[in-house]
Amino acid sequence: MAERTLYEKYGGFSQVSKIVLSFYDTLLDNDDIGPFFDEVDMSRMVDHQTKFIASLLGGPASYTDKQLKQLHSHLDINDAHFDELEVVLRATLIDHGVADEDVEAVVAEFAKRRPLIVG
Amino acid sequence: MKIEAINEQLLRAIGVGVALLDRKSLRFSFRNDTFDDWFSNEAEPNQLQELFPDLDADAMQTALADNGRYASEIRFKKKRRTLIIALDFTSTKDDVLVLVCQNITRIKELESMIDSYSMMVERNTREIKREKEQVEKLLLNIMPRSVYEEYKTFGVVTPQLYNPVSVLMLDFVGFTEMVASQDPSVTVTELNDIYSAFDRIGEQFGCERIKTIGDAYITVAGLPDPTPDHAKAIANTAIRFVRYLNRRNLSHPHQWHCRVGLSSGSVVGSVVGIQKYVYDIFGPAVNLASRLQEFSEPMEISVQGEVAHVLKDQFDLENIGVRTIRGFGEQEVWRLSDSS
Repeated sequence: MAERTLYEKYGGFSQVSKIVLSFYDTLLDNDDIGPFFDEVDMSRMVDHQTKFIASLLGGPASYTDKQLKQLHSHLDINDAHFDELEVVLRATLIDHGVADEDVEAVVAEFAKRRPLIVG
Repeated sequence: MKIEAINEQLLRAIGVGVALLDRKSLRFSFRNDTFDDWFSNEAEPNQLQELFPDLDADAMQTALADNGRYASEIRFKKKRRTLIIALDFTSTKDDVLVLVCQNITRIKELESMIDSYSMMVERNTREIKREKEQVEKLLLNIMPRSVYEEYKTFGVVTPQLYNPVSVLMLDFVGFTEMVASQDPSVTVTELNDIYSAFDRIGEQFGCERIKTIGDAYITVAGLPDPTPDHAKAIANTAIRFVRYLNRRNLSHPHQWHCRVGLSSGSVVGSVVGIQKYVYDIFGPAVNLASRLQEFSEPMEISVQGEVAHVLKDQFDLENIGVRTIRGFGEQEVWRLSDSS
């Protein structure tokens, strides 16, 4: 049997959707990272966050490294932005009762993508 | 506090935007707090079209005239968030329009999320289906379909006796030398071509290829579904194998020569192994076919006596006499030739 993913552990789509929405709300209200989404259509933004959280938790989405790099290449994202997103992500997961070691695992997954996003 | 005052306070405080307008001028006469919260701006427009320039006023008036109601939806950005508000107009007797606004942003966001999620899931489902088909194809390469179905349903395969069937065993002459003297990858590529051709030929006559071991190729007629003319099917297959190789040798630098043995009898078919399973057949017919093959000169087909008696009316068969066969004693051996 394959190992259970965090996505399954935290209740699949019905629970993870709550994490996604709350992450989405926080991002929009955040004045450091929010501006990246000023011109982004709502449904695209939701789509993006759904896939983002799902792929970090081992759910049914995965971007290839090449896709991630390409999708962010036109944005002027620096290390401070990436750090801030990490803070938001961590806080959202903790708010939704994700266990400490799982939060660390997700954040570690997230951190791996830094070279693809920043620059 | 009077009841009207209480009503007004309630109306102001509820989470639904409520406004009253004059039906003709479309000017606001009342807006509750929620409405103002959503739609207030510096200009404080006092007229509906000034506030919602995108609203189709003509369509609204027509709908109101027809059935007294009109519903629409507007989107706007508040800070960087897209708000989506459902507008519902109802006309009353005294030319007052009641406008009720509901914030459906969350619903729309959820709809988008479900769209996104279902697209991912559907894509994954397609991928899983494709993978399943690949696995199935692989398994069908190593076992007959009916055996595969049993394996899929029960996770095990019960050994089954098939009686009677006909077995063809083919072996190449000088294969070991060929591998040693030529580029092995070329040899294997050619072997692959030849086996693929054999598979196609066998399929035409209802034969099930059981396995190949290096340069030995084993196929069976009458399995898994019983076939009354299994002997005829295997003879036809054998003749066409030889014919195919003869023709191939005319146009290829590497010459392939085979020996073939044919026999009939019973075999047991089963999946063997747990981690690395293969479908295989066991029984005297398999061993005999293998021994008979050794009696063949290159490009010849040796046939068990009993099979030859069944076939001799329809095929070109010659008795080459009695031979002592290891494990089978003295047996009549016949030679099958291509009569065409």
